[in-house]
Amino acid sequence: MSSELEREIGHDEFDPVGTLGLITIYFLILVVLWIFMYFVEFAGGDLTVVGVVV
Amino acid sequence: MNIHTYEKFWLGASMVLIVGFILTITYGSVGLGIAMVDDSEPTINPENVGDHPDFGDPGVEQVGENEYVVHVVAVQFAYFPGEIEVPADSTVTFKLTSEDVIHSFSVVGTNANTMIIPGEIASVTVEADEPGEYGIVCSEYCGSGHHDMEGKLTVVPQDEFELEGDE
Repeated sequence: MSSELEREIGHDEFDPVGTLGLITIYFLILVVLWIFMYFVEFAGGDLTVVGVVV
Repeated sequence: MNIHTYEKFWLGASMVLIVGFILTITYGSVGLGIAMVDDSEPTINPENVGDHPDFGDPGVEQVGENEYVVHVVAVQFAYFPGEIEVPADSTVTFKLTSEDVIHSFSVVGTNANTMIIPGEIASVTVEADEPGEYGIVCSEYCGSGHHDMEGKLTVVPQDEFELEGDE
């Protein structure tokens, strides 16, 4: 098998930039959706139950 | 252990996300004052709600300069009073109880929503800022007429507001 290897790279030389790009986009989508859900859909939905947190 | 740089990034980002969620909720309750409906109110005998000093004569009551308390009794299949009018720019506390089964007080399209449990008093405080009209529905199935159980909440401009009996 090893004779068929085209190129051997070390642990830190493996750079899946496509995967990095995907998880970055995924992360940004999560952040935007959270902000939208909490601040626009929830906190913007007056009347909101208010009170003092005991 | 040898963790890849990208993996460290993803682990760190996940932590940031979790901390962010906690910070948002904290800001919501401390900064915006958003609260949960709790059980701090006393209990009530559902057999004779009519004899209760407040629920015997339900309705809107002024308790402070811009503070109002609205006592509402829920029965199958109506709210008393069915039409509630409060002024804008005021703090309104709804005190709710039921004479028969579990109902709910859901101000449609808003976050004001609670169960009404016989024997318990639910207290919901909201800031009524803008004039507007809201529907109130029962969202706990309470019997054959459940779908007809509704009320109306109207927030009127302050200069148009009159307490019942003040005319």
